[in-house]
Amino acid sequence: MMRLILLSLSGLLLMGCSSKEVKPWEKENLAQDIMQYGGLHPEVKKFEAHVYFSKEASRGGSGVGGGGCGCN
Amino acid sequence: MQLSKITAIAIIASSMVQAENYVSVEFLQYDESDSRVSVSAPSLSISHDIGTDYNIKADFVHDAVSGATPTWRSDTGSGASSRGDSSSDYSYGNQEFDEERNAGSILLTTRFDNRDELYTGIDYSRESDFDSKSVSVEYMHYTDSSHNQSVSVGASYAYNEILSYDYYDTGSGASQKETSSSINAEIGLSQVLDAKSSVKVAGFVISDDGYLNNPHASVIRNYKTSNRRQAGDKRPDTRLAYGADVKYIRLLTDDLSYQIGYRFYDDDWDISSHTINNDVYYKVTDNLTLGAGVRYYAQTEANFYNKEKDFFTNEEFASSDERLSDFDALTYKASVDYKFSDKVSFNLGGEFYTQSTGLDATLFTTGVKYRY
Repeated sequence: MMRLILLSLSGLLLMGCSSKEVKPWEKENLAQDIMQYGGLHPEVKKFEAHVYFSKEASRGGSGVGGGGCGCN
Repeated sequence: MQLSKITAIAIIASSMVQAENYVSVEFLQYDESDSRVSVSAPSLSISHDIGTDYNIKADFVHDAVSGATPTWRSDTGSGASSRGDSSSDYSYGNQEFDEERNAGSILLTTRFDNRDELYTGIDYSRESDFDSKSVSVEYMHYTDSSHNQSVSVGASYAYNEILSYDYYDTGSGASQKETSSSINAEIGLSQVLDAKSSVKVAGFVISDDGYLNNPHASVIRNYKTSNRRQAGDKRPDTRLAYGADVKYIRLLTDDLSYQIGYRFYDDDWDISSHTINNDVYYKVTDNLTLGAGVRYYAQTEANFYNKEKDFFTNEEFASSDERLSDFDALTYKASVDYKFSDKVSFNLGGEFYTQSTGLDATLFTTGVKYRY
């Protein structure tokens, strides 16, 4: 049930966000460093991902690259 | 003059990727509560454009890990001395260890005439008892001339070598090399919604195969019989997982951005999880940016997990590793980024991570980035 609710919410989010064509010269805001999915410092996100990978039992969804570890 | 400025902005912004050359040095300090794991990790990242069509990025990190990890221990001794000894009892406590890890990765980005991008990467990680090598490839294709929508397809293959030690079956303590592999495939869609927001959706499948046990963990079997014994953590030798990830980012004001992400994960060990991540960034001045965030994570337990010492008998699979348990976790994040000049910036970050298992941890990062 929880799965259905969350998937539905995701679908609603996508459907609710209507897109319109944005010309290249209108993308100054989107190019700002505070508008990057990896944050200002992707290296810090990499640290975070490593901590979560070693302390939790699930992974995936943030790209296919990255090495493993035998984290205790 | 005005036209050339607009053109310049358009060229820079069209890919929405900040192509830049930089060298970045970061330091991580991670500390768990109850004197468990501590990690000190300096890292070096170098990103360099080769002409306009290629970028190469290299990362290196050294982890110095010390502390203790929780597992079952015999009250009358450890390892072989407790094997098959029905007179000994067991308690769940911390097992001390020290470890060093060196890891590196190289990612080559190739940009084609239509500005599609191909990412080719290799990763390497080495510890005293664990080696991992992986290759990855991902292709990103713009579906429209304005570069508002792109689709990406990627896959990676990892090969791991693990040293396991026979502390329980024969008690010899002899090491044996085990192997495992992992295939990760992902497909994604990125869409610019308007001049201030965009969304990314991805679906992924992960297949693990081989030795997936935790060589440092153990369980107690047949506790209430005369055959009580401490045995190694034993998991299925395959694991198939799938999931979906959605990220949305919006510029709320000229200086304030907000991003939210949700990930769903499910696997055939009966573990499923939900992750919700929120981050805000606020540009106080042109040089100073503050960040804050909250992450919520919840997972269900594996179908072969149990923490009780009088639970397992002769089941094929058994684990008391609490990372496979039912728990939730919260992370609180804060960061400061200060630009000394157009070329040099300094960052400082702090995070507090708390699990319902009782694990608390702090994570501090600090670093300097030099752009050239």
